[in-house]
Amino acid sequence: MFKFIKQYTETISGAQIYPLISLLIFFLFFVVLLVYVQKLDKKSIKQISEIPLDDDINQNLN
Amino acid sequence: MQVEKFHYDNTTVRNFAYATMIWGAIGMLVGLYVSLQLVFPSLNIPQFGSFGRLRPLHTNAVIFAFVGNGIFMGVYYSLQRLCKARMYSDVLSKIHFWGWQSIIVLAAITLPLGMTAGKEYAELEWPIDIAITIMWVVFGWNMFGTILKRRERHLYVAIWFYIATFVTVAVLHIVNSFALPVNLFKSYSGYAGVQDALVQWWYGHNAVAFFLTTPYLGLMYYFLPKAANRPVYSYKLSIIHFWSLIFLYIWAGPHHLLYTSLPNWAQSLGVVFSVMLLFPSWGGMINGLLTLRGAWDRVRDDVILKFMVVAVTAYGMATFEGPMLSLKTVSAISHYTDWIVAHVHVGGLGWNGMLTFGILYWLLPKIFNTPLYSKKLASSHFWLATLGIIFYAVPLYWAGFTQSSMWKQFTASGQLKYTFLETVTYLKPFYAMRSFGGTLYLIGVIIMMYNLYKTVKSGKLVRDEAAEAPALEKLQGGFAGEHWHRKIERRPVQLLIGSLIVILIGGIVEFVPTFLVKSNVPTISSVKPYTPLELQGRDIYVREGCYTCHSQMIRPFRSETERYGEYSKAGEFVYDRPFQWGSKRTGPDLGREGASTLKKSNGWHFRHFREPSSMSEGSIMPSYSFMLKKDLDTSTTAAKIRTLQKLGTPYPKGFDKIANNVLMEQASSISFSLKSDSIRVAPNKEVIALIAYMQRLGTDISKPVQ
Repeated sequence: MFKFIKQYTETISGAQIYPLISLLIFFLFFVVLLVYVQKLDKKSIKQISEIPLDDDINQNLN
Repeated sequence: MQVEKFHYDNTTVRNFAYATMIWGAIGMLVGLYVSLQLVFPSLNIPQFGSFGRLRPLHTNAVIFAFVGNGIFMGVYYSLQRLCKARMYSDVLSKIHFWGWQSIIVLAAITLPLGMTAGKEYAELEWPIDIAITIMWVVFGWNMFGTILKRRERHLYVAIWFYIATFVTVAVLHIVNSFALPVNLFKSYSGYAGVQDALVQWWYGHNAVAFFLTTPYLGLMYYFLPKAANRPVYSYKLSIIHFWSLIFLYIWAGPHHLLYTSLPNWAQSLGVVFSVMLLFPSWGGMINGLLTLRGAWDRVRDDVILKFMVVAVTAYGMATFEGPMLSLKTVSAISHYTDWIVAHVHVGGLGWNGMLTFGILYWLLPKIFNTPLYSKKLASSHFWLATLGIIFYAVPLYWAGFTQSSMWKQFTASGQLKYTFLETVTYLKPFYAMRSFGGTLYLIGVIIMMYNLYKTVKSGKLVRDEAAEAPALEKLQGGFAGEHWHRKIERRPVQLLIGSLIVILIGGIVEFVPTFLVKSNVPTISSVKPYTPLELQGRDIYVREGCYTCHSQMIRPFRSETERYGEYSKAGEFVYDRPFQWGSKRTGPDLGREGASTLKKSNGWHFRHFREPSSMSEGSIMPSYSFMLKKDLDTSTTAAKIRTLQKLGTPYPKGFDKIANNVLMEQASSISFSLKSDSIRVAPNKEVIALIAYMQRLGTDISKPVQ
């Protein structure tokens, strides 16, 4: 894969850094996302995931 | 704890549900009709009902009318319940519903009339584009109003997908529709050639991502747990799914332009991100399927779950195939063939269609407070739809692969083995089988409409469904209530800004170098602007939707350069507004139609437009004989030249005033040359302009530099 990146970083002038930066941005973004998700409170996650189901109590009241 | 009583609005949901079904049936019927036109060219209705004009009607109808209304139906139902609040404004809901339907009607009128911007899935002309923008804002306003007055502290993940959909579609639509109007019915793209292609496929790809995928994923995360009566398998996975999906999707557009004149680095970037996209997509699919863990026995009996399982599976198949197709080696084979048509229909019929049907069967009985009329009919629909997809996709996969290998085969002596026409006639049986699959699918839809009609008749719409929930502020208790409230109110806005930033990164990295770095689009000094007659001819080419069957982009393969001539260069397209590279070769590439090896006489073109099969036996191209009689509208020439000058085309100053004289001069010479071929036609007919354009195609690079 690095060969790909090297190949096009050589063929354009002034924009070599874009693709590398973009990959880096995504990688960092993804790592931060994973850490964030791992740190989430389990109880509240369970509660949130049940939101779609808890409106049934009020179904068809009229 | 104070419990508030309120009512959910089911009327708007019902309206969108009806619109989904009606437009869905119409859009699919048009699709079936255009598929039959490929088998029986005589089905082409002269002028207004040719393949080139109806195919955009089909794609626009199923994407924006069927799926569009499906999105709104699902969002209006689920958002209210997830927020425990009625939609923000009944008036906005009404405006949104009727406004969207009016846009669809306008599209259905203008597209057959030939009013088109000539960019795939963005064909509608600028006044309708503005109307779409306004309606989208109305939708967003109504949605955010609802979110802000919600009684549920947390934003469930489905709402995230809705928010990302709203913001990204807005950005895509506005950026891609940027055009300068000539008059009310005609505009020129703000971008030209390679840049137009990049913007268009950034849009086209992300229309798939953010109109056909993210809103439907939102619906999946709500309706699948509802139908299965259990929470989603992993909520944490859904968070990762959301952010990585919207981050990666936006980069992948250039995979539609592999081996074209797009700069190589942009192509590679598109490939890398497309391959990575497989992971969040499958994360979502697995999350959907595993939601049914421990409930698989119910899938056997519950037809709604069956529809949803096939939908999620089709999503998985299409999102596996997508990254594979974006590999350069695979694209070399699959691009321009029916393989791509099969691929999008696995997504469209399978993912969007089946999920929509599942939701309709679940939702309408619920809001009409009555059981489904017939489970048996629903089950028949399920099997017809599933078989329909298989009968649709398999022949086209086969056709695509066959087509590509026939295009690429050489004889032992190094000649191309097949003429283009031979490949076309060979494919006709596959096209017929595809139409059969489409028919099965459509019959299923009609059965569903009957079933749901009967269901609705036996129940009564619960217009305002009573519900109750504690008010949000009270939930937090007395302390710091204000603080919490404000923080919560800000969150959807933060989400909106967050998704906006995430989707802008990809677009900016791809656009900025292509637009700013000159070396990315090397200019060719012999490439000159179109003459006024060629320009008018080109606009006819755009109007007729020729790009739906003909590409103008020769890839650098021996099989293509042998057949079509020198491969296409980025600098050749700098005056093309819109670009017309196309994405499908039902007919041959026209990139060098006027150049040496492919050049034909004016008379050949004239006879070919009058009756294509008279020159190419077995051709399935529609006849354009009406152009032999129709006068060319030259009243627009001056305005067109002025518009293009404003966009940077280097016509000399004051050229607009003499443009029509130049036009008539060239037209007369073509008309005169036809006389020697014993064809008598006045120079002011449309066909003359189109011939002029044909003869110009691809000739610039072989001209001496002046």
